Amino acid sequence: MSQSATLQRVQAVDFYGRLEEEVREHSQGTALLFLYCAGDSSGSEAELSEVQSFVDQLSGDNGKVLQDANYGVMAITLPGYSLDAAHYQALLLKQHLQGRLGEADPRITLAALTETPSMQTMKQMAESTRLSTSSDIHIFTQEEADREHNRILIVDQDATVREFLQIRLAMQGYETLEALDGLEALELIAKWEPDLVLTELNLHGIDGLPFIHHIQQLDVKESPKIVVLTEKRVEQTISQCFQNGVDDYVTKPFSPVELDARIRRCLH
Amino acid sequence: MVTIYYVMIVSVLYFVIMLFSFRNIKDIFRRAKYSTYNTLSGSELVPSVSLLVPAFNEELTIAENVRCLMTLNYPTYEVIVINDGSSDETLKVLIEEYGLTLLPNPQIRGKISTNKVRGIYYNPQYPQLYVIDKENGGKADSLNAGINLSRYPLISSIDADSLLEKDALIRMARMYMENPEETVAIGGDVRIANGCVIENGEVKDVSLPRRMWPMFQSIEYMKAFLGGRIGWSHLNGLIIVSGAFGLFRKDYVIAVGGYRGGYPGEDMNIIIKLHRYMLENKIKYRVAFCPEAVCWTQAPDSYNILSNQRKRWGRGNLKNMIENRDMVFNPKYKIMGLLTMPYNVIFEALNPYFRITGLLALLGYVLLDMTNWKVLVVFGLVNFLSGYMLSVGALILEEIAFRRYTKLSDQVKMLLFSALKFVGYHQLGVLWRVQGHIQYLQNNNSWGTMTRQSWKDKKEAA
Amino acid sequence: MFSNLEMAYVFIYVCLGLIAAGIILLFQMKIKHNAEQRDMERFTKKHHDYFMYVQSHLHDDVTLELPPGKLTSAERRVIQAKCMEWIEQFKGDAREKLLQLCRDAGFVEEDIRALSSLRKDRRIEAVYRLGGMRAEEAVPQLQELMNRTKYGPMTIIIARAIAKSALQSQQIREMLAKLLSYDKAIHHMAADILLETRLDSASLMRKLLDDPDPGLVKISLVAMWGQAIPAFVPTLDRLVGSEEKDVRAEAVKLYLSSNPSLKDDTIAQLMNDHEWEVRAAAAKALGSLHAAGSIPLLASALKDENWHVRNNSAESLAMLGEQGFETLCQAALTGEGPARETALYRIEQIMSKEGEHEQVEQMVAFNKRKLVYDRYFGLQTSKRIGTVAGVGGDYTA
Repeated sequence: MSQSATLQRVQAVDFYGRLEEEVREHSQGTALLFLYCAGDSSGSEAELSEVQSFVDQLSGDNGKVLQDANYGVMAITLPGYSLDAAHYQALLLKQHLQGRLGEADPRITLAALTETPSMQTMKQMAESTRLSTSSDIHIFTQEEADREHNRILIVDQDATVREFLQIRLAMQGYETLEALDGLEALELIAKWEPDLVLTELNLHGIDGLPFIHHIQQLDVKESPKIVVLTEKRVEQTISQCFQNGVDDYVTKPFSPVELDARIRRCLH
Repeated sequence: MVTIYYVMIVSVLYFVIMLFSFRNIKDIFRRAKYSTYNTLSGSELVPSVSLLVPAFNEELTIAENVRCLMTLNYPTYEVIVINDGSSDETLKVLIEEYGLTLLPNPQIRGKISTNKVRGIYYNPQYPQLYVIDKENGGKADSLNAGINLSRYPLISSIDADSLLEKDALIRMARMYMENPEETVAIGGDVRIANGCVIENGEVKDVSLPRRMWPMFQSIEYMKAFLGGRIGWSHLNGLIIVSGAFGLFRKDYVIAVGGYRGGYPGEDMNIIIKLHRYMLENKIKYRVAFCPEAVCWTQAPDSYNILSNQRKRWGRGNLKNMIENRDMVFNPKYKIMGLLTMPYNVIFEALNPYFRITGLLALLGYVLLDMTNWKVLVVFGLVNFLSGYMLSVGALILEEIAFRRYTKLSDQVKMLLFSALKFVGYHQLGVLWRVQGHIQYLQNNNSWGTMTRQSWKDKKEAA
Repeated sequence: MFSNLEMAYVFIYVCLGLIAAGIILLFQMKIKHNAEQRDMERFTKKHHDYFMYVQSHLHDDVTLELPPGKLTSAERRVIQAKCMEWIEQFKGDAREKLLQLCRDAGFVEEDIRALSSLRKDRRIEAVYRLGGMRAEEAVPQLQELMNRTKYGPMTIIIARAIAKSALQSQQIREMLAKLLSYDKAIHHMAADILLETRLDSASLMRKLLDDPDPGLVKISLVAMWGQAIPAFVPTLDRLVGSEEKDVRAEAVKLYLSSNPSLKDDTIAQLMNDHEWEVRAAAAKALGSLHAAGSIPLLASALKDENWHVRNNSAESLAMLGEQGFETLCQAALTGEGPARETALYRIEQIMSKEGEHEQVEQMVAFNKRKLVYDRYFGLQTSKRIGTVAGVGGDYTA
């Protein structure tokens, strides 16, 4: 890999220019990663070479690493990688960096490209990588680039469910917030005014039915749609929910695909 | 000398019971861990339960308590609060909190006689909640009024100063469903909530009480519930299901005539009556204990209240024993007659007298001949060590199956207080029981004061 | 004297020994448990990125990669537990993908081996996990384990694991038959277990309904609550005449909930059944049937000894228009005891809904009833009749 070994730091303009070139070359089925190491070591030589060596050992030798000299953000192209494969490599890369450079705190944003993205989008990605506050690997979707988001409030006491719904809905381009219990949720609804509340019935602080009733009493411009996602399968409860103006009722275990469809139907 | 042996025999018996607890504890741990409650808690197949909450002057705790009960993880249930002629604002607090209105022409199904019911309050917005307002008649009378109104086949009595864990009821129901025909009653584990952080009717953060009296009780409860009741339930010889949290088959409770009024100890009384009824009618049955279903209760934190409570217990216990003396050593009543009742009479009710007379005799003996001081020391040590051993055993049971207190410092504190218990607290317990017995003989039947602290103040105080 | 104290000394030493051992054990356990807890949190954090990866791609048409790196057994436990949590929450493709992942990672194989462990702890843990991972290959072993286990909570755990894993209806049938063989009347629990199956529950239940064992029939009837399917009606029709009283009651309840058209003499027969559950179910069904002979039948059922029958009859009468309502009012005025009480309660419920009717038809219907009400009880609606008194009643619940 002699060509990559001689890689130079490039100026900002040039960085995006070369990146675009790179991406255009494999415009179909390329995964694009942005990486930024927060902390002291950001943009150091060691880091760059670690990334380079990681990319080199991947099968399919067309991977390229570019670095923006101004900010230290790196861009990695992985031709032929689908989103999930690239995601997996990203987490390996993160582990690799953490293992090699103890103090590194890598922030990664990735996207699978179906067409050449605009310069604007790439800048947005790089920016969000650099400014990201969470060390989670972030998947950048087209929906995120379009700035039309519906807001969904997830209310569930089970952290596993909340985490999954959050990931899933974010990938669909929704803006989400989480609440652990009914009382917290009521505060959030008043403040944040979500378009839809996705809630469990079995909550702390306030029970499901009164909770739903309270939502409708709230003084907000437009009452949010309510979708219930719950363990409860008691017929009486279900009919009480619908009588109280719930828009849809999904029981757990649920099919994520079906839930998506129901939410979409509620919002449109 | 006899006393020393008496103490030793008591300890050994207790120890044997505890061994049964040890035998079962692993199973309890496993069933708590590997039983799935998620499908049950949403299922139509789980029996419906009526929760009965007798409340007498509970304005400070009732709101939090009902809020807790309204958010249980359970498919179908109703909450019936019975205001037993409180002189404070208990009823008003509830009416305001839930916007209740008086039900015209309510339907009361049962016909156990109770004091006059003034009215029943309800709000269709909270379809599971009913509040009965009745004239003062005691806890048993309130429970009977609750039974009369209840719609469901199972009833559960819950103290108004207690909070249930969200899964407590479904855990009990799972145990019930495992053997629905034979189960007549299930008791829950009662723990002391003083010191815990409580928010919105939920115990958020478990820690030990800061004050002395609740701390002693905390250890005492752990020993009684984990060390004793698991073992007794294994023998089907449970004599009491705590009034703070128990589940009953309504048909049998009614068959034995409901709760008995007029005296404390109605929780022990109902269980003895159930045993008696089932044994006399030769019906196969079990009274079970479900330690994984936890109820947090507020323990009295001052000397006065605590001593009143214990005197009341002593009185109720004696009354129950005298009322059911025919069961003692009566083979007709199997384990109940041959083991549980005699044990309770000889080692619980009469315990103070044995110890006191023994101690006095020893003292006299030593006074006559000072060279025998050793005997006194031995007596003290036997008393202390046997008790301490059982406390340690209870702590081990807790650690194997429940692990509610995670901090190492908490464990040290519990071990320390288990030891301190024998300097003063234990002796006071004996004294209170004797005083209770005296009250019984004097026919004193008051309830004594039981003032409550609101859960909110608790947080700051503890 | 001393020989007497000897015993006491021994007792003291034994106590001391046990206390010391107990305290050591206690601290050792606490430290171990806390360390385990910390490890678990650490590993959960370490694999956070992997967990995010799995959750992000559950819907894609891809095979999930295994967790990276060399894993310690504690780490594997953490990952497995997480997967099982997801499996319980999802169905469809997402679940299948996770099941495949557990299999690929060797979790299933590991736990099948653990089934023959000598330690009971390990065995039960493995049972639970195999059920969680829907391991159909483990079913024969699970069945064997179930046969060896004494009835208790563990039996239920194993039964659940079998129900979750089994791919053959025969295995489920055997498991249910085994559960029933303990003679503990656990039909409801068994039905809940049955509903955990991955098999097509409709065809499984149809099979069970035709089973010669009445216990199995009852389980499937119980399991069918709330999901009466037209295809079952012929079978139910047959079971309505069953000898087993439990089976008949369950079957009637389900049968009537499917809104069949009933002949007048069938109705009369059901309303006079000696099982109260049957009468209650019939009374309830009459509300929506609008059959001509219903009203007198329901009126007499108001005097039934069972509360459910009375209550359902009153409810049905209230649904049968003006005439039904009038019957209720009559019962409230002229009836006595429980019948009167039930009727009064129902009337009050209807009248208290005044002003809540938005649609014109509802309003009209309500006003008609109000006229009837006024005719019977006078115009002062605010002064409600009756007192709070337990006049008679019954204890059947």
